[in-house]
Amino acid sequence: MKIYKIFPLLLITIILLGACAPALPESIKIGVNAPLTGDIPKVGEGTRYAAELWLEETGGTINVGGKDYTVELVIEDNESKGESAAAVNTKLITQDEVLVIVGPQASKQAVPAGAVANDLETPMISPWSTNPATTLGRPWVFRTPFLDPFQGPVVANFVSEEFGYTNAGVLYDIASDYPKGLAEFFQMGWEDIGGSVVAFESFTTGDTDFSAQLTKIKDAGAEFIFAPQYYNEIALIVQQARELGFEGPIVGSDSWGSAELMNLCGDACKGLFFSTHYAAEGATGATKEFIDKYNAKYGYVPDDVGALTWDAFNIVKKAIEDCGAITGDIDADRQCVRDAMANIREFPGITGNMSFNEEGDPTKCAVIVKISDEGLFTFYEQVCP
Amino acid sequence: MTTISASWPTTRQRIRAALSKLWQPYRPVPLLGWLLAALVAVGMEQLVGLPLARTLGMSKIPALFGALVVLDQPALIPSVLLFLILIYILPVGIVARFTAPFTNKIAARLVSYPLVITAVIHLLLLYAVLHIWCDISDYRVLVARMAMIAIILTLSLNVVNGYMGEFSCSHPGFMALGAYVASVFTLVFFVSENQFGEALVPPALGPFLFPLALILGGLVAAVGALLVAIPSFRTRGDYLAIISLAFMFIVKSLFENLEIVGGARGISNQPNYASLPVVFAWTVLAIWIINNFVRSTMGKALNAVRDDELAATAMTVDTRKTKMTAFLFAAFWAGVAGGLFAHVLRYINPDSFGIRKLAEVLAMVYFGGLNSVTGSIVGAVGLTMISEALRPLEIYKWIIIPIMLILIMIFRPTGLIAFTEFNVERLFLPKDKAPEGAEDATA
Repeated sequence: MKIYKIFPLLLITIILLGACAPALPESIKIGVNAPLTGDIPKVGEGTRYAAELWLEETGGTINVGGKDYTVELVIEDNESKGESAAAVNTKLITQDEVLVIVGPQASKQAVPAGAVANDLETPMISPWSTNPATTLGRPWVFRTPFLDPFQGPVVANFVSEEFGYTNAGVLYDIASDYPKGLAEFFQMGWEDIGGSVVAFESFTTGDTDFSAQLTKIKDAGAEFIFAPQYYNEIALIVQQARELGFEGPIVGSDSWGSAELMNLCGDACKGLFFSTHYAAEGATGATKEFIDKYNAKYGYVPDDVGALTWDAFNIVKKAIEDCGAITGDIDADRQCVRDAMANIREFPGITGNMSFNEEGDPTKCAVIVKISDEGLFTFYEQVCP
Repeated sequence: MTTISASWPTTRQRIRAALSKLWQPYRPVPLLGWLLAALVAVGMEQLVGLPLARTLGMSKIPALFGALVVLDQPALIPSVLLFLILIYILPVGIVARFTAPFTNKIAARLVSYPLVITAVIHLLLLYAVLHIWCDISDYRVLVARMAMIAIILTLSLNVVNGYMGEFSCSHPGFMALGAYVASVFTLVFFVSENQFGEALVPPALGPFLFPLALILGGLVAAVGALLVAIPSFRTRGDYLAIISLAFMFIVKSLFENLEIVGGARGISNQPNYASLPVVFAWTVLAIWIINNFVRSTMGKALNAVRDDELAATAMTVDTRKTKMTAFLFAAFWAGVAGGLFAHVLRYINPDSFGIRKLAEVLAMVYFGGLNSVTGSIVGAVGLTMISEALRPLEIYKWIIIPIMLILIMIFRPTGLIAFTEFNVERLFLPKDKAPEGAEDATA
């Protein structure tokens, strides 16, 4: 019975105490929504490493309006699932009250997570997602990579100018949205400049034998193959194409740019070209600085995920600085950061200079990389929109 | 052995005796009393939760009963416990106990009314609790909606895997059919400016016609189930598992290759129709209908088919019809769950309905318990919450959850609460005159 009597008293005390509770310490929270487990843990690892390196680099503070604010990273795992990415975003926004979110990386997580960020009016920047739906009609959502409608024609123009070919063969994974989209945009770009796609062959995620498709491509008279696939498939595709006696070049896209590619592919991939966001070998200035630091800390050269995440964080930093003042009213601060981010022009990122268009997509240059005889990804040329 | 068996029961008995003594005053609390108490608790959280949390050193009200805080900041565990005791346990304990005479009187009076009225009153109270609880944060809203969709899905799979005793793997496929059909329906009719052109009817009608989209999705899923059922029910044994697994992959590749619904890119921007009350209503409907189904003659026939098909035939059970009906019925609800899922997430792609979804639903069914409505609810809500709570552990989460499942399979091979009947009528009864030792049904 005692508790029955003291309970109201206890409550009143608590409310009074709560009313004069000390204000929370001033800090800026940045949410990271990353695929730490699931299908693409390497991407999650790259995201986390880049984020932690960035935090170290800033010294853990951002100076806004002459005042230093401590930066706190809230890294959450989205298990490479769309619904988890949405739940993580909701949690970051409503529970952790982050100012801005970096991530998710893959489009299947970035699209639903972007809907949440937009509905709850929190700026979000995806470093890797290329699906147009991620930012389309969502003023609160941004991204750092260029889009496939740009990259496809870039590769097409490069091949046409470099080799002067007219007959293309395309091999792509129909069950995965990135290769499929890019294959189609390449086809469009290639046909626009007067080339013809003589073979447009597909396979399904998880296939390891491509000889049927490659034979068809070879028999159709293709002079080169465009394969917008991931590094593990590229190793197989290139090796099998050579075994079947296909001598022409195989050209790729930014999904090739992983440190694992040369370990799996070996000599067969040397001398090939692909388009990407940045070239690690022969990099200078800020890019080189980032690569060296990353390599020294984690023991490998960062791939494009790491570089794009690094850029995303620096864009976030610039937007917060441009905002001018952190009021402590989280809604007003988020609005301020979003506006500042939308106004960023000619941001000097390590993956190129970028400005956001009204959809929150960057206008930036692509890089054509040649795999050197030493197996390094060397800068070949830059293509700007 | 003798010492162990001699000492074990005594400590166990002592604990059990202590617990039952603690529980004694709560025996006469009817469901109405618990709901009222929960309402008071969430109301208190709404009013004093934030200042209390601040006082205890937390920046916000712990969203999922502190499960998220515990792993992130172990130093806050005492605060979280104190919060839970002050906001949930004490008010619920006090209110439930001291309103028991009153709530029992009401419950006794409600018995004379038709069951529908009693049920509606209880459901309104339950929804009020849920609504106020979710009002604290959008995160709770999302988790609650996901948990309720998981309930529908788990229940419908339990009809096949539990009540019918077959092993079906095609639930993600049915869910995908429902999700795509419902999404296309709402996008074609109520949303302008997408790949399907202008809205055909005024978007204001959307929320009212949304049930139609879900039912249509469910029906298409049931037609898909027919395709699986016709060949596989002619045979016995593991064939259904194999054929249904194939069906799941067929559906997935179908949508991957259908350009009109976005292919591998999926469909996005579904209208936001699956709000908390909508999902709640559909979940209640699903539980009610599925529970009635499994308690009907058909449901009993289903159990007979599971236990011995030959004997069931001998007892004039039309086994083929029974199995077909149950399978199509289960697929229908999986389709509805898919439609709700698509409108909660507002983005679907074929990849969401693959083998990982299957593993998730199967885990929920076997965790909660076969052949049991209560078990399905416990399994779905439990695994959703555990999965959210363990997120900060990252990769270790995928070690802990399987270990948990293995332990359950060892100690309770049919799941936590298996082979029980969910008797709604008895749930609402007043408890003060209930016979001694009556099972408490507040779980």
